[in-house]
Amino acid sequence: MSSLLRVTDLARDYCGHTALTGVDLALERGSVLGLLGPNGAGKTTCLQVLSGNLAPSAGTLSICGIDLVQAPLRAKRHLGYLPERPPLYPEMRVDEYLEFCARLHRIPRRQVAAAVSRAKSRCALDEVGRRLLAKLSRGYRQRLGLAQAIIHEPDLVILDEPTEGLDPEQIREVRLLIRELSAHCGVILSSHILPEVQEVCTQVLILRNGRPVHQGRLASQREQHRSGAFRVRLDRPPPIAELVRLPTVASALTGGDGLLRIDLAPGLPPSALARSLVEAGYGLRELTPERTDLERIYFETLGLDPGPANLPSAPLPQDQSGPDLSAVGGAS
Amino acid sequence: MILTLAGREWRAGLLTPLGWVLLAANQAVLGWTFLQVLERFTGLEAAKRSVGLTLELSLNLWGFAAALSLLSAPLLAARMFAGERHEGSASLLGAAPVAVAELVLGKYLGLVGLLTLVCLIPVLLALTLTGAVGLDPGLLASATLGLWLATLFFAAVGLFASSLSAQPGVALVAAYGILILFSVVGQAGRVLSRNIGLFDWLSWNEHLLWFLIGAVRLSDIAYYSLFTALFLALTHRRLANRRLV
Repeated sequence: MSSLLRVTDLARDYCGHTALTGVDLALERGSVLGLLGPNGAGKTTCLQVLSGNLAPSAGTLSICGIDLVQAPLRAKRHLGYLPERPPLYPEMRVDEYLEFCARLHRIPRRQVAAAVSRAKSRCALDEVGRRLLAKLSRGYRQRLGLAQAIIHEPDLVILDEPTEGLDPEQIREVRLLIRELSAHCGVILSSHILPEVQEVCTQVLILRNGRPVHQGRLASQREQHRSGAFRVRLDRPPPIAELVRLPTVASALTGGDGLLRIDLAPGLPPSALARSLVEAGYGLRELTPERTDLERIYFETLGLDPGPANLPSAPLPQDQSGPDLSAVGGAS
Repeated sequence: MILTLAGREWRAGLLTPLGWVLLAANQAVLGWTFLQVLERFTGLEAAKRSVGLTLELSLNLWGFAAALSLLSAPLLAARMFAGERHEGSASLLGAAPVAVAELVLGKYLGLVGLLTLVCLIPVLLALTLTGAVGLDPGLLASATLGLWLATLFFAAVGLFASSLSAQPGVALVAAYGILILFSVVGQAGRVLSRNIGLFDWLSWNEHLLWFLIGAVRLSDIAYYSLFTALFLALTHRRLANRRLV
C-alpha cells in the first residue's frame, strides 16, 4: 500500500537561490509531522510546494499515490491547506465563504450544506455563520482558515502555524482538533512552539537553510516523563559512584560546568530526589527538569545554546543549609 | 467551477464600494455627455444638422463610454490576481483542485459581467428617448456590440496585468500602459510613415469607429477576439509559470 504522502529529493530554487533541497518524506495516515526550523529555514516554501502552490524545481511528490506535478487536480482533491495567513475574502460572510470553499473543492452541490455545517461545528464557528469575515477576530479568522482546509475531509492536511494568534483556550481546541484529524488522515504542521510540536506530533523534520538537518519519530509525552531526567547543581558534589547508591537515583552523569544529569528512579516523584539530595548534605543549589526530547534535539541540531528548561519542577523540601536553598528558585 | 469563480467575483464586485463607485461615476459622466449631445443637437436648425441624432449619440456617447470602460476595466481587474496575492487569498485557489484555465476564465467572466453593466448605461440613457424621437436600433446595436467587444479586450488586458504583480497598483499602471500603447499606436504609424497600415490596424479605436458608424465587419470582430484571446492566453501562461519561478 502506498504512503499518504511520499516526497523524494524535493528541491525548490528561486532565481538561482536554493530555498529548499534534499527533502525526503513519507507520511502515513494517523501521523502528525511537525516542521521546525528557525525563520528563513524554508518551512513555508516546503509547505507551499507540498500544497501545490509552488512547483518543485526537482524531486517527486505524490499524495495518495498521485503525482502532484503530473496530475495536480487529482492530487489536490486529497489535500487541505491552511497557509500562514488565512486565505479569506473580507466582503464575504462565514457561511458564504465556506460554501465557496466547498464548491472550490468540488463537493457536489447537494452535499455543500452538510459539509459547511460539519466544518463549522468542528471549528466552533456555529455562532458566527452570518458574520462578515472583515469583522471576525484573529482567533475566528484562524479557525475559519482551518475550517476551509478540512471542509472536504482531505486525506492530508497541511497547516502553517495553525495556532498563531490564538488564545490558550483556542490553542488547546486546535490541538484537540489536530489530534482528532490525525485519527483518519495525515497532518503536517509547522510551528515555532516546540512544546506544541512535542505534544501533537508523532514525527519531526527540522530544516536549516533549506536543508533537512534532523528527521525522526518523537517520543510521546508519557515516555518523556517516564524518563525523569534532571539537571542538578550541588555545592558539594559527591563522586558518581556514591550518588548512584541513593535509592532515588537510577543513574547519573557528570556534565560540564559542575552540572550533573540524574535519572530519577522509576515510580518516584521529583520531590523524593530533592529530599534525598538535601538529606545527604550535598547542598542542593539547582534542580531542573532536563529539556524535553524535542527541545534537546532542536537546540543540539541547530547548534544553539539551550538555556534553562521551562518545564515546572517539583517543590523542594527545606534544607538545613539554609542559604543554599534560596538559589533553588531557579529550578523552575 | 468557472461559474463558481465568476459568481464570486461578480458578488465581490457588487459587495465592495469600488464596483458601485465606478458604476455611479460612469452613470454621472455618461448622463452629462448624453444631455450635452441632446442640447447641442436640439440647438441646431434642421438644415445645419449634418448627421442624425442616433449617429451623434453613437459617436459621442458610446465613444465616451468606451474611454470610460478603458479606465474602469483595469481598476476592477487589478484585484483579481494581484489583489488576491496581496491579500494572501491566492493560496486558497492554488491549493484547490482548480485548473489554471478555469481560474482565468472564471475571473474573466466575473470581470466581464461587471463591465457589461457599464456598457449598458448608454443603452439605458438612449431608452429614455423612446417615444420622443425615432432612433435607429440597428446603429445603436452595432455601437453597443463594438463597445462590448472593446470592453472584453480591455478586461483581458487588465487581467493579464493583474497576473504580473502582487501589487494591485503596479498591475493598474501596467494595464494602463498597455492600453495607452494600443490607443496611440495608430498615431505613431502616421508619424513614421503614411503607408504602414499595421499601426492603424493595431489601434483598438480604429476598429471601434466602424461599429460606431453602424458597420459590423468581421475583420473588426476578429481583431477584438484575437487580442482578447491573446491576452487571456498570456495570463494563463503567466499564472502557470508563476508556480515555477
